[in-house]
Amino acid sequence: MKKKIIIFTLIAALAASLLAIPGALAEDGVTFVYARADSVTSFDLHQEITANNAFAIDKVFEPLVLFDTEGVITDYLAASHTISEDGLVYTFTLRDGLRFNDGSDVTAEDVKFSLERHMAVQGPLPIQADIASIEAADEKTVVITLNAAYTPFFSELANFSNGILPRDFGGKTEEEFFKNPVGTGPFVVSQWDPAGDLTFVKNEYYWQEGKPAIDTLVYKVIGDDNQAINQLRVGDVDAVESLTYANAAEIDNGSETDIITRGSWNVEELFFNTLDEHFADVHVRRALALALNREALAQALTFGYGEVANSVLPATLRYSATDTVDALSLDLDAAKAELAQSAFPEGFSTTISIPSGNNVRMQEALIVIAAGASIGIDIQLDAKEAAAFRQDFRNLNYAIMINTAIADFPDADSIFAFQVDPEGFSQCFWTSYVNDEAVALMKAGQVTLDGDERADIYARLQQILADDVPYIPLYYPSILVGVRSDVEGLVILPNGTADFTGVVKK
Amino acid sequence: MRQLKRPRRGALTLGVGLAMMLVMIALALLAPVICRFDPLEQDLYAFLRPPGGLHPFGTDQLGRDMFSRVLYAARTDLRIMALAEIAPFLTGLFLGMIAGYYGGWVEWAVTLATDTFIAFPYYLLVIVVAFATGAGVHGIYITFMLVGWLLYARVARGATASLRESEWLQSARLMGYSDWRIIWRELFPNVLPQAVVVLMTDMAGLLVIIVTLGYLGIGVTQPTPDWGTMIAEGQNFMTTAWWLSVIPGLMVVYTGIALSFIGDGLAEIWEN
Amino acid sequence: MARNKTTRESRLFRRWLRRAALRSALVVALITVAVFFIIRLVPGDPAVMVLGEHATSASIEALREKLGLNLPAARQFLRFLQNVFLHGDTGESIKYGVSSRALVFQRAPVTLLLVALSMLVTLAATVLLAFLAATHKDGLFDQIIRVVPAFTQGMPVFWVGLLLILGFAVRLRWFPVGGLKPGFGGMLYSLILPAVTVSFGQIPPLVRSLRERLIAVLDADFVTTLKAAKVPRRVIFLRHILRNAFIPTLMLLSVNLSYLIGGTLVVERVFAVRGIGDLLFEAISNRDFPLVQAVALYCAVFVVVISFLADLIAHWADPRTLT
Repeated sequence: MKKKIIIFTLIAALAASLLAIPGALAEDGVTFVYARADSVTSFDLHQEITANNAFAIDKVFEPLVLFDTEGVITDYLAASHTISEDGLVYTFTLRDGLRFNDGSDVTAEDVKFSLERHMAVQGPLPIQADIASIEAADEKTVVITLNAAYTPFFSELANFSNGILPRDFGGKTEEEFFKNPVGTGPFVVSQWDPAGDLTFVKNEYYWQEGKPAIDTLVYKVIGDDNQAINQLRVGDVDAVESLTYANAAEIDNGSETDIITRGSWNVEELFFNTLDEHFADVHVRRALALALNREALAQALTFGYGEVANSVLPATLRYSATDTVDALSLDLDAAKAELAQSAFPEGFSTTISIPSGNNVRMQEALIVIAAGASIGIDIQLDAKEAAAFRQDFRNLNYAIMINTAIADFPDADSIFAFQVDPEGFSQCFWTSYVNDEAVALMKAGQVTLDGDERADIYARLQQILADDVPYIPLYYPSILVGVRSDVEGLVILPNGTADFTGVVKK
Repeated sequence: MRQLKRPRRGALTLGVGLAMMLVMIALALLAPVICRFDPLEQDLYAFLRPPGGLHPFGTDQLGRDMFSRVLYAARTDLRIMALAEIAPFLTGLFLGMIAGYYGGWVEWAVTLATDTFIAFPYYLLVIVVAFATGAGVHGIYITFMLVGWLLYARVARGATASLRESEWLQSARLMGYSDWRIIWRELFPNVLPQAVVVLMTDMAGLLVIIVTLGYLGIGVTQPTPDWGTMIAEGQNFMTTAWWLSVIPGLMVVYTGIALSFIGDGLAEIWEN
Repeated sequence: MARNKTTRESRLFRRWLRRAALRSALVVALITVAVFFIIRLVPGDPAVMVLGEHATSASIEALREKLGLNLPAARQFLRFLQNVFLHGDTGESIKYGVSSRALVFQRAPVTLLLVALSMLVTLAATVLLAFLAATHKDGLFDQIIRVVPAFTQGMPVFWVGLLLILGFAVRLRWFPVGGLKPGFGGMLYSLILPAVTVSFGQIPPLVRSLRERLIAVLDADFVTTLKAAKVPRRVIFLRHILRNAFIPTLMLLSVNLSYLIGGTLVVERVFAVRGIGDLLFEAISNRDFPLVQAVALYCAVFVVVISFLADLIAHWADPRTLT
């Protein structure tokens, strides 16, 4: 009996000590925990493109100019800028009192070094403008001269990959530098596990007065959707970077949780391999576009959070003609008539490729399959695991695929250069589509200064693409961020990154 | 009194299990007659309808009738379960018995093979096969051919090895029976009950693996209806549209119960 | 007579030991070679996975060159062997840019603790349930214990996990929803729900197997003899019944354990516990060859050791299995 009591007491004591420990450790100041699906693996801004790294890099490095929630670009590290009338000379004046997070001053030489390293490295997001020279005119003034006018250049500069770092990596080696990156951004890397969580602390030298209001920012890796929203429900995390459409309404209606939505620069799109014997025929492409009910698709899959897309240019970007372009919409009779004009009036068999494990893509593909069946095109689903899928479509080894087109920076050219230029490395988003008139318009758009003329060029280009349908835009996805109700001031930008500088917890 | 009761109870358990299984098989076979809707037919204006009315099990995200999908899925899953288990079961038993019976280098070689496969991270194999063959049924068959036999081989070898030195086997040898005869007539009946019990649980386990592959995004390919993929797809709707994953989940559980009753019943009958 | 038996046994034991050691080494070698080539047979390019699907062809080619992926497979394999034997490492992870061995060692404790905890739960539940069922054969207990596992067994792990989270973590708030609390105690506390989830699928076959064996042994002649000889029940149970009944269960358990190492990936994902299983899945998905290699190698070593120990216990419990 005594023995039993002793054992029982021991167990109770052990249990008590276990329960006591979690509460004992609390950090000083306000900590904000952000749940994300992937870890941050690198801070080398010139070598990265994927969102998991980009949205950490932009907390440390900042560019000369930056876009706001509406995609409008304004001065950021630059206090002011001028662009010459011929579009060749860009002059930037830096803000006063700018400092890196190690306390050193930011000079024009640092800007020159940063942009020149990007030009040397090239990387996955190379600067497209043809730069003749970058000169530091004085401590605070940078002059960039182009060989040829390139209107999108100003937007390119707003990209995270054109952030500013100290000249010569502040005297460190590249490897050392990117392990403990030094930039002007609101946060400083404190603890970093490339395969796990990342902790930032606030930059004491930050140039925006009184910001950031939080002391610590944690990027917590949670791979499972349900786990992430359940941690949000109990308050283990303060926000979740991306919610599924399926969970959005539920989180929005939760008593302690809300959602923040923002129109993105992405387009969910169906792509045709125009080298495929069937889809080389424009009538076949048009027939499928006419058989597809895009309205119902967008409603059923995004629960109203996505907007039907008529143009390849996202509605959030300037010059998007989604409301005015004449796009092919559901009309079964017209679809059948269109197919009858093609080389395959009796229909045919083909495949649609998607990455497996993506529920929304799967449903999209099933709707496309049903649309095909309605006009006599038999489409088989080819769901491959992500890496295999990528290998296939990059080798143009597919017939139809569904993918997301992404504008890297807020300029129409970011979409068109990728999707219309047959000489670009992506061969028109791996469709191998060639249309000389479209190419000429795309090139004209690059050198025409912003204004009505550029708007007219892009309106014509979007109509050609809508008639020729090398790809069918399906819908413009929304960015959905889940957030605890006690959080205020979290700003989500249209590229999907979050601005934490104004965050306060009530 | 108890002695008399046992075989009857075994028969009863077996009977219930078989009846449950037969109902499931009948539903699967008669699906085209019973169902009002085509399991693939979409209605994008009637998505996520709760159970009731025209759709007794509700509709899914594409407005497809869940009742039809669940019944048609039974066809897919029962077929996979049966086909994917036959080869590994026979191979495993055979290898395990000869290993346990002969001992020596035969046993050594078989255990080397089982040990290698067992020490091979299970999911590495499953995922790699699924990645290589593309998501779908083929991957499941191939994976099971590769790894399914291990369990049976281990069970059969263990059981055989512990019988190897037993007196009645010794005397069977002394009486001049051939190895073949000893293996099939003496050992096999002794190993079988244990193996069949394992088979029944393993079949239920196979269903769970199919579901898990669905969770990892490499399960049975749509549009073929399958419980595993349905459960996995429904997981984001657990709190908003429970029927998407709960109903196929109940089918998996029901089948699992039927299988384990069959296993138990057989085991009890063979015991006597 | 008794002495002879002992020397024969110890001679057999030494022989078994030699063979088992050789076999274990062979198993690890076979797996290492197999994994190296198998993972490269699967379509997909590590460079595209690191740089993203929209990356320029030039940047992908540059990365492939840097990683040595353009070398012939044989050359790559030689490099790999060099790395293993000279540095005792399987190379730098392609995705994370750090030593793959370090990553495995960083993640291993969580998974080991999770597996150990779930083994504890499983074993305790199995022995208790099987014994109750066997001693109350055909009684109410037996019936319940036979039917209930059939329910739990058909439930997919992520489902059980999700239900436990919704019930015990979100609603009742007795346990953390997921992730790991700091400290060893916090870790244990965070791993209780995941461990129970793992045990759900483990218990039924084990209970079944142990119950069958217990019943067989309980009915065996020697037990009746022992009972007639008035040997204390506890002695009969521990020395004779459990020992005889437990070997096949132990074998099943050791197989389960091998399956669990690297097989806890679903539980790890559902509970956001970052262990070996999660690492393996990430590694395969990203075609992170060195990391896949590392996980496979260390898991294999671990499993080989475990199954060696299981055999050792089996031989100790029943020397007849030594040959």
